[in-house]
Amino acid sequence: MINVWENTDPRQEAENFAAVWGLGGTVLLDRTGEYAARLGIRGVPTNVLVDGRGIVRAVGGTTPDELHAAVRELLADD
Amino acid sequence: MDHHDRPEQGPACSVDLSHRVRRHCPVGRGPEAVVVDPGRRRAYVACSRSDAVVALDLDRGVAVWTAPVGREPIPVILDLPTRRLFTADARSDTVTVLDADTGSRLTQIPVGAYPAGLGHHPGLRRVYAGNTADGTVTAIDADRLVVVGTVPAELGAGSIAVDTRRDRGYSANFMAGSVTVFDADALTPLGTVAVREGPCKVVPDPAAGLLYVASSLHGTIGRVSLEDGTVLDELPVERAPVGMCVDPSGGRLYVCNRGAGTVSVLDTRAGRETHRITVGNAPGDCALDPATGTLLVSNAGSGTVSFVDRPWLPGPAQPAVHPLVGRSLPGFALPDLRGGRIRTSREWAEKKYVINFFASW
Repeated sequence: MINVWENTDPRQEAENFAAVWGLGGTVLLDRTGEYAARLGIRGVPTNVLVDGRGIVRAVGGTTPDELHAAVRELLADD
Repeated sequence: MDHHDRPEQGPACSVDLSHRVRRHCPVGRGPEAVVVDPGRRRAYVACSRSDAVVALDLDRGVAVWTAPVGREPIPVILDLPTRRLFTADARSDTVTVLDADTGSRLTQIPVGAYPAGLGHHPGLRRVYAGNTADGTVTAIDADRLVVVGTVPAELGAGSIAVDTRRDRGYSANFMAGSVTVFDADALTPLGTVAVREGPCKVVPDPAAGLLYVASSLHGTIGRVSLEDGTVLDELPVERAPVGMCVDPSGGRLYVCNRGAGTVSVLDTRAGRETHRITVGNAPGDCALDPATGTLLVSNAGSGTVSFVDRPWLPGPAQPAVHPLVGRSLPGFALPDLRGGRIRTSREWAEKKYVINFFASW
């Protein structure tokens, strides 16, 4: 997960969020929003799916159905 | 005059048949909500991460004053008879009242836990705060500025809509996936409507007899009958709709898609989306200037308010697929939240993975 567009203390805000929602995975901080801007990310939450060759396969996939379908397709491609 | 002497001229007049984003005005941090005062030509913006309300000149697009309120103000409403602004301060469990002309604070009223939404009935002289952590609605007398009652709702009670024709209030209960209907005068619950998961915003159109319910988790707008609470249909919009407003005629609904940086424009009579407007990052809510038809959009991710002229008109076609799809992911080198070590995209080389971009708000 990449935290973006925090306005006050990004580390503290992201830590609080992770604690509330029990996020145990990798969380990175895009403090300036520069990386999100490079990818053309304009909203949150946004999911970016990447295949084993480093190619972006989907952007968006916010609803549960969309995300499940996109992940299934990604995993099926071997 | 011989027509050969005339310089080359274009058409005698031309009509711009598209919407136009006229400007993005910087305001404070995390602008979540905006309300318009057409008579005084002002807009008021609740900046959640600045803990402040900013007053904007509608015509010049510049800030007139900034006033501190409680911690993390999310919604803002304007009571015209008293010319007072009300914000619900989510992290201080208060409603702050300001003088709309000067920004001076009049009082701060304790309400329930994590108030994230406000509703307003000017006729009954009531303001209602949706207390998200409590699952209740606090009713405030807008003249005496005191709490006059509490209505039980359900977990996640936040956005409040008020049907001033039927004197009914509606609380969107985000965690419960429901809408609580209550008597706005007697402050008694009347029933519950089950809706799609994650109802984030409710907006009434009393003339049409409809309540619009934004489901942020499913990217849809539900339409509920104000007469009997029947869920009539659902209209798809874009990712994570969290704010909306309906135009005075009821013919168009403008929906802020936080997950996409766009506003969906819905033709309510046809029951479908007609076009999208690209605004700032992570738009939170919107309001119309009835004097000019301009749409104002508060962009929580950009710290700006977008001014959109002629929003009912379509604009440039949007790409069907995100331009990043099919391309190599640009590399990253970002600090890990836990420990601060820089992590790079090389760690995930030859792996399949999902990056979720998120914000805590």
